[in-house]
Amino acid sequence: MPTNQEIAQMAHLMRRAGFGATYAELEERAANGYEATVEELLNPMTQPDLEMDVLERYFVDWKEMNALEVNQAYLTYRMINTKRPLQEKMALFWHGILCTGNSKCEHGRQIQLQLDMFRELGMGSFDGVLKGLSRDPAMVFYLDNCMSHKGAINENWGRELLELFSMGVGMDGEANYSEDDIKEAARAFTGWTITNAIPRYPYGRYESAFIYNPYDHDNEEKTFLGETGNLNGDDIVAIICRQQSAARFVSRHLYNFFVADEVQVPAWQNTPPRDPEAIALLEQTYFDSGYNLTAMLRVMFNSDFFKNATFEKVKSPTEVVIGTMRLVQDFTTPKLGLQPLANTIRYMGQDLMNPPTVEGWHTGAEWIDSGTLVERINFAADQVGNTALPGIRDIVSRLDSEKITSPDAIVDRCLELVGAYELAPETRDQLIAYTSSNGSVTPGTAEYSEAIAQTLQLIVSTQEYQFA
Amino acid sequence: MTTTMDRNALPTVGISLQYTHTIGRAEFSGPGFRNPTAMARAEDDVMYVANRSYDYRPDGKRITMCTVGEEFISEFAKGVFEQGDGEAVATDGAIIWPTAITVGPNGNVYLADEYLDRISIYSAEGEYLTKWERPGDGDGQWNKPSGLVFGKDGVLYVVDSNNHRIQMLTADGEYIGEWGEFGTGQGQFNLPFGVETDSDGNVFVADWRNDRIQKFTADGKFLMEFGETGDGEGQLNRPTDVAVDRDGTIYVADWNNERLQIFHPDGSFAGMTYGEATISQWGVGKLEANPEMWEERKIAQGIDREKYFWGPIAVECDDEGRVFVVETARSRIQVFQKQDAVFYGVNERVSGGGGRL
Repeated sequence: MPTNQEIAQMAHLMRRAGFGATYAELEERAANGYEATVEELLNPMTQPDLEMDVLERYFVDWKEMNALEVNQAYLTYRMINTKRPLQEKMALFWHGILCTGNSKCEHGRQIQLQLDMFRELGMGSFDGVLKGLSRDPAMVFYLDNCMSHKGAINENWGRELLELFSMGVGMDGEANYSEDDIKEAARAFTGWTITNAIPRYPYGRYESAFIYNPYDHDNEEKTFLGETGNLNGDDIVAIICRQQSAARFVSRHLYNFFVADEVQVPAWQNTPPRDPEAIALLEQTYFDSGYNLTAMLRVMFNSDFFKNATFEKVKSPTEVVIGTMRLVQDFTTPKLGLQPLANTIRYMGQDLMNPPTVEGWHTGAEWIDSGTLVERINFAADQVGNTALPGIRDIVSRLDSEKITSPDAIVDRCLELVGAYELAPETRDQLIAYTSSNGSVTPGTAEYSEAIAQTLQLIVSTQEYQFA
Repeated sequence: MTTTMDRNALPTVGISLQYTHTIGRAEFSGPGFRNPTAMARAEDDVMYVANRSYDYRPDGKRITMCTVGEEFISEFAKGVFEQGDGEAVATDGAIIWPTAITVGPNGNVYLADEYLDRISIYSAEGEYLTKWERPGDGDGQWNKPSGLVFGKDGVLYVVDSNNHRIQMLTADGEYIGEWGEFGTGQGQFNLPFGVETDSDGNVFVADWRNDRIQKFTADGKFLMEFGETGDGEGQLNRPTDVAVDRDGTIYVADWNNERLQIFHPDGSFAGMTYGEATISQWGVGKLEANPEMWEERKIAQGIDREKYFWGPIAVECDDEGRVFVVETARSRIQVFQKQDAVFYGVNERVSGGGGRL
């Protein structure tokens, strides 16, 4: 039987390395052990994928995934139901950094295919991720590399590859590259293009494919980050991955996404990491492992700096919505309403597959404003207040079977069952006072279920629930 | 060089389909379809096509009434207003997740909706008449009905997919009987989908998750099965529908293999096609309204993909030897003409008789 401390640690891991878990899953995982769970998460292929044949039978539009809305619905369902939560979380991680958006995309499915690429490569080597990205048709189109030609380069891809996707503008107060490096990188990627698209009418889009046009490739000598030769795109990626700045870039992003909120990315050149020792450890692992993401994640999840960083991150809108749905166990089978659910993520400020710019979303405290906070609270309170939902029924059933009736015990047990949340003492006192105002409630009655649901609604309305 | 041939051999008559044309284009209303899932043929070349559309575009959920020659007649069964989170308001006659459509002996149109657990009935002109909404697992109830067909004697067969059985009803909806249960044995099913009857009244069921077709007598006695999981000849990957023509030739919508397979009456493999679509008349009209797309098509790479099936979910055949394949993901129907295996001779064909030059 796992201890409360072990459950709490597992809840922390599953919020970060996944999208949260029911209490029953936390108990099972805690019984298996923390490190064993980390290993399972790091090896997603040991777990079954979604049964796509069944899903496409009911969601018939998922075969083609033409529109943004259909893709968002699919992604939402996938995050709720995946048995490979870290793989999906890593796809979301890369989606927020290596951005393409539907606002400049010929075919909604193309970004879904990019996410598939992140699922496949996102936990491998950083070198592989960048090679996959530079061949990704959505990215080639989004950052105009298909418009970059021998003798007439378009710098867009070359610039963002260095600035936003691999190194960052600088670190420790120094610049990481020059304007010349951007131009030379762009030259190296000339000829890396995509097929001309089939127009929408009359039957709908088809995905484009990456192709290499050797006749449009600049075969002259180039100098990039001090290395000279007839460099092509893969050479540029290889040189990038050898840089200390790349190690810093990946480490800091992993820390910011999984451990604790950092300052916003544009400030990283002149703002040192929040935890320099943690970043140094991750950087060392980056080089020791051959730029391997799984190795870095293993070190991170098993570290004390990760285990001690509970509730140090503001949940992203995706984490609020998907975490709540996994808690209440809704949308576990096909039904209507997925798109409205996906829209709630958008209304909270994260329009998945359609970020505001190539910089992605600003994170941490910037997720929250007066409007999005109301969206978050209303959404979560609506869900946990619905005693017909399986996850809420399970919570009520547990308290019922444990014959818990005192207001303080109800509040404390609900906090555990929602995911081992901790409230500030004054907040906890207020919740107990409210629960007391319901008077005595008897297990097994409708009033009891209602009282539990109201307590859950209060919990998800607290400031603490906004943190992961 | 001489060729050696076995003069005693009896080569089996082949079955081939000749592509004739494509019907449809992707539209949420008017001439066209949007994620069609089923079709039915009626008199005078009329056809009814059930459109599932995207769930966030309920305006595209409808039945399109048109002809084989692409004359748009009307559309009906609209009226879904999604409310979110599994709730939907659907007026009587409106459809949400249509799975099957068939024409009854009286000319009325019957449509199965697996979201509402409802069979809706319309007149031949599309006027809503009544509905049978019966969720459950008891006699005459269903859980996600996915196939509908009238048998030789007027019995309506309903594929009750999530209860893994076939139910028999009168044309008025009265329960007659049933067979089937979950499993992999003969007469058992795993999420069955489409259903068809042949001219003798036998019943063919696309046993979807068992990757096979099962054949029964009109009252459900097991006769034969064919198909197994795979992508080789005669193998199936989630067959969604089955059709049988006047000669007993069997057509299977091999959904996840993206092809149509053809079988001899004994269930042996006879052929297959992956599709040959061309631009439909409605498609031409759409492109002429958007002439820049004609230009884009000229430089598009991989445009050959357009001819292949994508999501072939339903197959129908008619008494004229035509075979119709409904493609969910391309919002169109490809039409083929079965090539007759009987030798007529040129003069007989041309003159209508005689047989002598």
